Formats: sequence, C-alpha cells, structure tokens
Amino acid sequence: MAGVAGGNDFQWCFSQVKGAIDEDVAEADIISTVEFNYSGELLATGDKGGRVVIFQHEQESKNRPHLRGEYNVYSTFQSHEPEFDYLKSLEIEEKINKIRWLPQQNAAHFLLSTNDKTIKLWKISERDKRAEGYNLKDEDGRLRDPFRITSLRVCPITHIVDIKPANMEELTEVITAAECHPHQCNVFVYSSSKGTIRLCDMRAAALCDRHSKFFEEPEDPSSRSFFSEIISSISDVKFSHSGRYMMTRDYLSVKVWDLNMENRPVETYQVHEYLRSKLCSLYENDCIFDKFECCWNGSDSAIMTGSYNNFFRMFDRNTRRDITLEASRESSKPRATLKPRKVSTGGKRKKDEISVDSLDFNKKILHTAWHPKDNVIAVAATNNLYIFQDKIN
Amino acid sequence: MLGRGVKRKWSCLADLEAEALPAEKQKNGEEGPGDEGGFHVAPSESDMSHLQQRQLVLGLCLEKLQHYQAGVELSLRRSVLLINTLRQIQEDMQSDGVETCTSETLLNDVNADSCLLRDDVREDMPVTCPGCSEGDGDDLPLSPPLSPEFPSQEANSSADQPRSLPPATISSFSDAVNAMGYLSDLALDDIFEDIDTSMYETSDLPSAWAAGSLWPISVSLWADEDVKMRPSSHASAGSLQSCLMDLNELDHIMEILVKS
Repeated sequence: MAGVAGGNDFQWCFSQVKGAIDEDVAEADIISTVEFNYSGELLATGDKGGRVVIFQHEQESKNRPHLRGEYNVYSTFQSHEPEFDYLKSLEIEEKINKIRWLPQQNAAHFLLSTNDKTIKLWKISERDKRAEGYNLKDEDGRLRDPFRITSLRVCPITHIVDIKPANMEELTEVITAAECHPHQCNVFVYSSSKGTIRLCDMRAAALCDRHSKFFEEPEDPSSRSFFSEIISSISDVKFSHSGRYMMTRDYLSVKVWDLNMENRPVETYQVHEYLRSKLCSLYENDCIFDKFECCWNGSDSAIMTGSYNNFFRMFDRNTRRDITLEASRESSKPRATLKPRKVSTGGKRKKDEISVDSLDFNKKILHTAWHPKDNVIAVAATNNLYIFQDKIN
Repeated sequence: MLGRGVKRKWSCLADLEAEALPAEKQKNGEEGPGDEGGFHVAPSESDMSHLQQRQLVLGLCLEKLQHYQAGVELSLRRSVLLINTLRQIQEDMQSDGVETCTSETLLNDVNADSCLLRDDVREDMPVTCPGCSEGDGDDLPLSPPLSPEFPSQEANSSADQPRSLPPATISSFSDAVNAMGYLSDLALDDIFEDIDTSMYETSDLPSAWAAGSLWPISVSLWADEDVKMRPSSHASAGSLQSCLMDLNELDHIMEILVKS
C-alpha cells in the first residue's frame, strides 16, 4: 500500500505506547502537549495534572539492529500546580498548554513549559554522569535522583500584542495561537478566532499593534452557516522548518500559506469534511470547539493532524496523497503495520469502513509531533502516547 | 440528538426539542474523559430547515452561556464565539422579520404543516404566507391563541410595575463577566443594580444585543423545559422574558407553545 512521506514502499508501524490501559481515564493524566527536541533524542509530554514527562531515545542495541530504538522515560517532574486567583475568584489550571525545547548548547537540556498563567524555564542536567549502574544512593541511603531539575526563571510577561478593545463589550475576536519564526527571531505570527493570521515584526515597534502582513482567505458565501465563524477559528499555527511557509488548522481543514501571499493559502487539505453536515450536533456536544494541532515532518514534505475516533491524518504535499491511521490498543502489536482507515460518507459502507455515525467523538487526537529528522511520530490519544515509525526493511 | 447511531427523524420542531434534552446530560469539558464509553452524532441535519436550525442554535447558545452557573468555566475564546453566534442569529432574525408576515398570522395556522416549518416559506412567499394571501374561511382569528403556560400575566405586570432586576439576574451577569477571564474588568453588578425593567424599550434591547452587551441571561425560550431543568434561574426568567416577548422571539415561542 502506498504510503505518505516516503514513497511507495513506505509504511507506518507501531512502535510503543505509553500510559495506562484502564478504561477509566484520570483527568490529570490526559496529555495536553507533545514535543520533540531539536535533535529528536528527547520527547516531552505535558498533561492536565501539570506534569512533564521526558522520554529519551535509546540507541539501537547491537543485538537487535533492525529495531530503530525505543523511547524510555528519562525524567518526570511537576511543572505547574493549580492556583487560585482570589481577586477574580478564578481557578488557574495546572494543565500544561505547551512545551518548547531550547536548542541544546551544552550537556544540559532546557525547555519551556506553560499553563494559562505562567511560563517556566527548566534546566535538566544529569547530576552525575556515572549515575548509571552504581552510586545511586547518597549517604543517608536514599536513592539519589540522577537528574537535577531546576526551575530557572519565572519572568513577568511583556505584552507584545494587545487586541483588547477599550470596551470589553466590543470584544469579538481573540488570539488563538502564536509562533515565532524559526530563523528570524524578530518575526512572529498569531492567529485569531475569526480565521485570520497576522505576521508581526518586533523590530518595527515595541507593541506590535500593527501587523506587517495579514493573511485571510475570503469566505465562500455559499457555505455560510451559523457555525462558519466557529469552524474558521484557527486552533494552531506552525511555521515550516524552512521558514517559507506556515500551516494553520481550523476545525475542518489544514491550510498551508506562503508567507509571500496573503490573500489565500497555497494548499488546503480537508481533514474530515464529512463532519460539515454534522456541525449542529458537534456544536451541541461542544466538539466544534475542540482545538486540533498540526505539525510538519522534518523536510516539510508532509503534514499531520488529528481527528476523532483516535484517527489521525497525514498529507503528502508532493504526491497529494493522504492517509488516515488509527491509534488504538488493538493494532498495537510490536512492529505491526498500521492499516489505513476510511470513513464512509455515502450510503453504502464498504467492509472495513466506519460510518460517520459510529465515530467516537470522545476519542480525539488533538496533539501530535513529528521527529525533526526521522520518520518517527508521537500521537497523544487522551492519556496514552503512541509512537509510530517507518518500517525498516 | 446524541444517539448511539440510532436514526432519528427531523420532521418537526417537537422532535428537535426532545433531542436537545438528553444532550445536556452528556456535556463534558473541553478535554474531558469519556462517560459511558463515547458519544456520537445524529444522522444528517440537512432535513432541518434554516429556521429550525436557527431556533435550535439560539437555544443551545443561551444554554452554553449559562453553563457557568453549573460550575463549568467558559474560556474567553468560547464565550466570544458563542456571543458572536448569538449576534449572527439576531441579525438573521431581524432580516427575517422584514421579509415574512406578522407573527400573529403565522401562528394562526395550527396545522402541522404550518408555513413557518416549511422549507419553502422563504423562497415561495417573500412577503406573505399562505394564511395571509388566501384569506379564506379557514383562517383563525387574528389574536394568537395563548396557551396556559404563556406568561402573559407576568409580561403585563412587569410592564406596568417597573422593578429592579432580581438578584439572581445580577449575579448571573457578574458571574458571566468573571467567567470571561483575566481581561475582563467591568463591574457589571454596579451597572445593573438599580436598573428598572421599564428602561428596556423594545427597540433598545435588540440594539444593545447587537452591540454585544448580551451577557449570559437567565432566561430560556422554552418555558416548560426551563422550569424543569434550571429552577434556580427561573426566578429571573419572568422579568427579562417580558422584554424578550416584544422581540422577534415572540413568533418562535408561540410556535413552540402552540405545537406543545
């Protein structure tokens, strides 16, 4: 079966799954962000309970060279705690919204983690290089933690963009996502709930109220509905590794934009168009507000995003082929090839297809990550982290 | 509406109301774990007319904006999207009111195939509905039949005796503001403390609504269900409902009451 991002011989297969198997999912265990570091050696996840788990890729053992190697737990720490803002009578969730790795400059690893209120910079260093194997206990006999995790700075936040209107009652648009350009550190983009993207240059002004570029696709009047604005709300924006493109995710599609063309995207990929006729139901059960993320592969030739029923989708930008795969325990046998899935939209449902009405909207893949160099992907399915890789022939 | 793959018919508005009820129990947070093993969507909604959908979305919108009362926090993004949807519905209703015939004549047709429910109303009859244009003996009297549940007494009394908004409404307004998050710095409770209902002219309320001052209000357009499901907010329903009665919602509410 022809695959995506690698040619005709390419196939995705199961590698590992992390997390509890229980049917009852603890809310705190729900994964809220996944991120590879720059080399792909480390993979970090954040969860609703405010914890960060870092996995490290272990080299293939000499005994089993056909295996690419596995990701095993490297470090775990409590990044954020729930807070209560007494002034506003609001609880601030400890959920980790985002993790970003800093480029590695020495033996220590640095990452940023954030919840709704506070961004923290963490330094993870191995305390004792020789900790492996011996001398793991200190004088008191307690097991020494081989890692030192230091929280470095909790800085006051400087506002760069403020779109709050003078009168709060006039608020009709909010910022939904933002990202810095991978090469030009003074450039960043932010997306809005109305489906627009603004590119700003921090060299122009301290407060980037005026954008340098404004990206918006004109609305198709024939598809206008009460849900048009909600589904146009951008849930994620990601620059390509090259820095020449950016990708946005709205409820039903993924769009690739050329930074030099503001009036429309250069590519549009339908993630689950069959949901368009179900928007009223999805509005009722709040699924229409789900925020899906998207990611590029290392060479920017393919993009990936999640969907419902634990499905995730990949699009090859060159061949225009796409594939739907599922993260499930059933297909989690070691090195088992993932079978492409299909949702039947017409009247007749073929043998292996699943009908739209049977999709489980509780099982949503919101967070995915692609290894910066290799064909290894991490897919977060509620409280489980799946790792898939290409088949090495 | 959230069945487990069970086919349902969308033949009339009453079915829509019935579907809306079980969905309430299945609402979760944004990334919540599943209950009883997942939920699904109903079969295609293409059978729903524009008006039916608008009615449903309007009710759901208000329901969701009121959800903070049940302890579920609304994110700023979601609040803004919901309020924008409400504005869009209101604009749609206002433009609708210009084209179609008066609510009274529409409501007079108690037939199951009333013109309001037919998809072809807007295309075939830009100005009047069959009840108006035919003008034969089948027409009922012009005054709309009021069902016993219709709070007309409340509407009349509150119009005659101006009184301040009940505390439940004030607290629900300020709760809504709090639910909006960090950027909110309005003291709406101060604003609404001494306001008389007589200040709400019928023309003012729609314009205030359009301006975006429609914070979550403790009122439901489905009078019966509101009593059953949210007894705490029903106390405030009467006075505000009297204001809303004068808006274009009148025809929709009457339609529901007539059907039930």
